[in-house]
Amino acid sequence: MHNSARRRFKQNMPLLLMFIPGALFYLVFKYTPMAGVVIAFKDYNLYDGIIRSPWVGLSNFRFIFSNGQLTDIIMNTLWLSLLRLLVGFPFPILLALLLNEVRKTWFKRSVQTLVFLPHFFSWVIVGGIVLTLFSQESGSLNGLLERWFGVTYSFLYHVPSWVAIFLGSGVWKEAGFSAIIYLAALAAIDPSLYEAAAIDGATKWRQIWHVTLPGISTVVSMMLILSMGSIMEVSFDQIYMLGNPAVSSISEVISIWVYQLGLQGGQFSITTAMGLFESVVGLALIVTANGIARRMGKELW
Amino acid sequence: MRASAGEKVFYAANYILLSIAGMLCFLPLLHIFATSFSDAGMIMSGRVSLWPVQWSGDAYKALFLGTRIVEAFGNSVTITVVGILLSVTGSIAVAYPLSKEYFYCRRLLSLLILFTMIFGGGLIPNYLLVKSLGLIDTYWALWLPGLISTYNMWVMKTFFQNVPRELEDAARIDGCGELRLIRSIVIPVSLPMIVAIALFYGVTYWNNFFNVLIYMNDTSKYNLAVLVQQMIFSASNPKLAIEPDLQSSITAEAVKSAGVLVMVAPVMVVYPFVQKHFVKGVMIGSLKG
Repeated sequence: MHNSARRRFKQNMPLLLMFIPGALFYLVFKYTPMAGVVIAFKDYNLYDGIIRSPWVGLSNFRFIFSNGQLTDIIMNTLWLSLLRLLVGFPFPILLALLLNEVRKTWFKRSVQTLVFLPHFFSWVIVGGIVLTLFSQESGSLNGLLERWFGVTYSFLYHVPSWVAIFLGSGVWKEAGFSAIIYLAALAAIDPSLYEAAAIDGATKWRQIWHVTLPGISTVVSMMLILSMGSIMEVSFDQIYMLGNPAVSSISEVISIWVYQLGLQGGQFSITTAMGLFESVVGLALIVTANGIARRMGKELW
Repeated sequence: MRASAGEKVFYAANYILLSIAGMLCFLPLLHIFATSFSDAGMIMSGRVSLWPVQWSGDAYKALFLGTRIVEAFGNSVTITVVGILLSVTGSIAVAYPLSKEYFYCRRLLSLLILFTMIFGGGLIPNYLLVKSLGLIDTYWALWLPGLISTYNMWVMKTFFQNVPRELEDAARIDGCGELRLIRSIVIPVSLPMIVAIALFYGVTYWNNFFNVLIYMNDTSKYNLAVLVQQMIFSASNPKLAIEPDLQSSITAEAVKSAGVLVMVAPVMVVYPFVQKHFVKGVMIGSLKG
């Protein structure tokens, strides 16, 4: 007994040494910022620093929720990301289902190569492409409209068309790559299930309904739980590239506001409070979603 | 088995839909390519769609001579190459111990690490931390906070767990130390997965926009993402330090498109070779995680 403990210690020594830099990384760059959220409860100023700045209790939070402009920003964030989830979630599943029905390998592989591609582009690139296509003065789409109908439309300066572009660009960038995970789940379905269904006289549609969809339901629920955690987040990069003053009534979201007021305006306490609110809601949502999934036996942890 | 009429329609529609989806992903890029290589007059009159009209390299000439894009390209390469080396090493160093069931406090440490995936301090505390460590205007502000992506590390850990025990045991009996074991057994066996993870990190570093924007005040430290972004989104034409002759033979559209293309070119060149690794990486992460 004593011997095996010593053996285990000997085995652990190199592992522990190896683990030290990583442990420091998590301690310094993950857990220290978590402790840094105390400034959400303080009136932080650079001169006094985090420790000596005076406590102000919940007043930063009270300010956020009583300020109409800020509640608007929170609602914008929520709306945009709910829309993104609603519109964006089904596309990868649909794409994977369609790809799964393709028999010709070369065709499947070519389509995959093309639809995965946009995932590897930065939002800077996607923003550039959006401008090239949709801007009023020089956009290609307006060029066509001008030639065919003699009119142009400022797609990026009207809220409905801007939201459509926001959602469309997200689908364009990520739908293909997100399909991989469903393709993997589809590939793992036992082919004999399809054979059995076919022998029983099930049509293509019934096979998809009774074999394919149940086969990927675990992965679907897993992805749904994970996406719950980001319901309070709208990507800074995407809005920074696509947003503009004309549509700020919808495009002003938490991440942009924190950047502008916090990093550019030096208002650290109030923006940290907003960030903390965002993180806590995200955590609560993901834990709740996991709890619901647990009832159905599909929990993530 | 013969396909019914309904199924035939389904298959035909499927091929058409997927072809459209594939084209939609590629055509915008082709348009950017065409614009960047076309003659200014043709672009202005809207005659450029998917292939260059009256080939011209002037936009690139203006871009390379008139902006700091070469410097930014070099910075992007530095950030990416060093970043990959640090992140892959860092991730292995955490993933390997966690993959051993005899590692002390393995469960607790795993939980503490996974928790950081669903909760974090937010932007401002991170920024203040980086600032107080004196990392502003150094690339360490990108490398250190981005050292380990917990998701990537967890994919590695899962993979290491599935390396056959017999391989390691045999090496240990031969008197192999832990480090040599990792170097000569574990890493070679897991190489395809490590390549995939390295590429994931590479793409993240190459496309890094936000962190460069907030941590680099010195404009000579900008990477391509920030430089190209400022070029594309400046309301006026890009400021170019070039002679008037060249100035008159280019349009802002073409120069902006050229900038976009310079930034995606390396990704496009590497992509076909590494695509299967990417796919494999995601699959390992999704199925065994």
